[in-house]
Amino acid sequence: MASISIRNLVKRYGNFTVIPDLNLEIADHEFVVFVGPSGCGKSTLLRIIAGLEPISSGDLYIGDKRVNGVQAARRDIAMVFQDYALYPHMRVYDNMSFALELRGTPKAEIDARVKRAAALLHIEPYLDRKPKELSGGQRQRVAMGRAIVRNPKAFLFDEPLSNLDAKLRGQVRAEIKALSQELKTTMVFVTHDQIEAMTMADRIVVLQSGTIQQYDTPETVYERPANQFVAGFIGSPAMNFFAVEWLEERAILSQGGATLPLDGETAGRLRQAGSAVVGVRPEHFAIAPDAADGIAIDVKLVEPLGSDTLIHFDLAGVSSIARVDPSLRPKVGDRLGLRPQAGKTHLFDATNGQVLR
Amino acid sequence: MTDAVNTDRWIRRLNLVQLVLAGIIIMAPTVWMVLSSFKPSFEVTAYPPTLVFTPTLDNYVELTKTTPFLSYALNSLIVTVGSTALGLLFGIPAAFAVSWTRITWPAILTLAARMAPGTLFLLPWYVMFRQVGMIGSYTALILSHAVITLPIVIWVLLPSFDGIPRSIFEAAQVDGCRVTRILWRIALPLVASGVAVAAILAFVFSWNYFLFALVLSNGDTKTLIAAAFNFIGEGSTQWGALMAAATLIALPPLVLAALVQRWLVSGLTLGAVKG
Repeated sequence: MASISIRNLVKRYGNFTVIPDLNLEIADHEFVVFVGPSGCGKSTLLRIIAGLEPISSGDLYIGDKRVNGVQAARRDIAMVFQDYALYPHMRVYDNMSFALELRGTPKAEIDARVKRAAALLHIEPYLDRKPKELSGGQRQRVAMGRAIVRNPKAFLFDEPLSNLDAKLRGQVRAEIKALSQELKTTMVFVTHDQIEAMTMADRIVVLQSGTIQQYDTPETVYERPANQFVAGFIGSPAMNFFAVEWLEERAILSQGGATLPLDGETAGRLRQAGSAVVGVRPEHFAIAPDAADGIAIDVKLVEPLGSDTLIHFDLAGVSSIARVDPSLRPKVGDRLGLRPQAGKTHLFDATNGQVLR
Repeated sequence: MTDAVNTDRWIRRLNLVQLVLAGIIIMAPTVWMVLSSFKPSFEVTAYPPTLVFTPTLDNYVELTKTTPFLSYALNSLIVTVGSTALGLLFGIPAAFAVSWTRITWPAILTLAARMAPGTLFLLPWYVMFRQVGMIGSYTALILSHAVITLPIVIWVLLPSFDGIPRSIFEAAQVDGCRVTRILWRIALPLVASGVAVAAILAFVFSWNYFLFALVLSNGDTKTLIAAAFNFIGEGSTQWGALMAAATLIALPPLVLAALVQRWLVSGLTLGAVKG
């Protein structure tokens, strides 16, 4: 078990810089999720921690030890790969015991550890099978078992759920979360799925173009995104953004000229900025009892999800979504009055996307 | 639709005719050789050839009585096994290194060496081996035949190593393996079928190679293929014994070539990764 410290890390492939300058501190026992769109550098960063990619410049510490030049084999970390990467010629038992055997662990201890991990992951009946005889979910558990038995300084997960179907993904996600609480080991998990990030992480690293956009708890990242990118990336359906200007003591949508009703505090910040981008999450729209009290929208599409209903509409030239109570079942073409809930709107600088507080 | 079906049918028939013709052209000399080895000596060169005859083992008996056939066979076996083992010993790590580093020029260099005419190597080797007194030794023959076996091993195994998902090697690295251990514990078992194919092909090519043995061997180390050449005399040629020798020489490669087919398809990596 150990902390992970990344200082001024740069990663280049030839002339192409993937990670320009990155600093990150992961505390001992912490569960950190790297999240971001494809190509943001999250898997590269994980592979650098694992020792599978060399660092162009900067420092990487695992615990107190600088590990820049230390081979993956000597870093004492365990990794679960996206495609499982089990050894196909070995039985499940041998897959799990291989790393311990390399370290010269006594046979009795290997046996005890493998059986304990197998019990934890419910794969005891499959210990004598080859990977090809297992389902995707079972293989994924074996891959986790292979990591667990080692009792490493840190676990690294590289999008381990992306090959599982939706039901199994939810189940394994919960199992990994439970494991992290039981094992109390530093865990770094890479995903492009913001739901996985939100549900599992102690802290989330939101990455874009190799740069950390925000590093904070899931609640903070969701409730107080640092910039427009984070606000748009975290949350499903994504946050709606509208360009607004403060004119005649009102927030006026830049396109269309309608008035967006804002609470006093947000309006105050907009007054100072003059113009900005307002962000409203779909779930933070409220139905205005009186259409004049909100902003009038024409319903374009209705998606009843059971637990709630998604209403699609166009506002100020932006295709937008509101999440409303399932009892509300408007029809396509209906006119509704919507207003952002007080205290739930976000204001971003129109030029650099940074949040305006 | 009907035209398309008719066209397909004709194409299939033409393919069959082509295959049969190719089969006849390829197999006719072999069949003729085998049949001739069982004919009485006066019938071997008879014209027109006789297709109905009383089979006899006289040619084989004469071959073993008049020549140290078994010694030659043993020489062939020593040289072929030695050069195949040498090819595997250096070819397996070489192929893995090329696959691992993705630096392909060494593999291309060995292929170029394989494609070059044997005489290119023969003269320098002859001079070198003579200077160190190794002409006629098994070592000289084994080393010279490695120029045949090494490229075969490398080029048969390269796609096999390339076919292993990179993540399996990376998992082994994270588990604590260094490169050499990854080769022996992870990669090699996964390309076992490829190794078998490479070994058999190397064996066959080395067994059949004539030129180096002809020049670099002596009476004690002459291989079968070079010894068979001696049956063709200036005055009289023992065609019956020559056919018997040729049949026996061809037998191991034919058997091994048949075995290769069984190894070519392997599902060993199934289940290693997703899908």
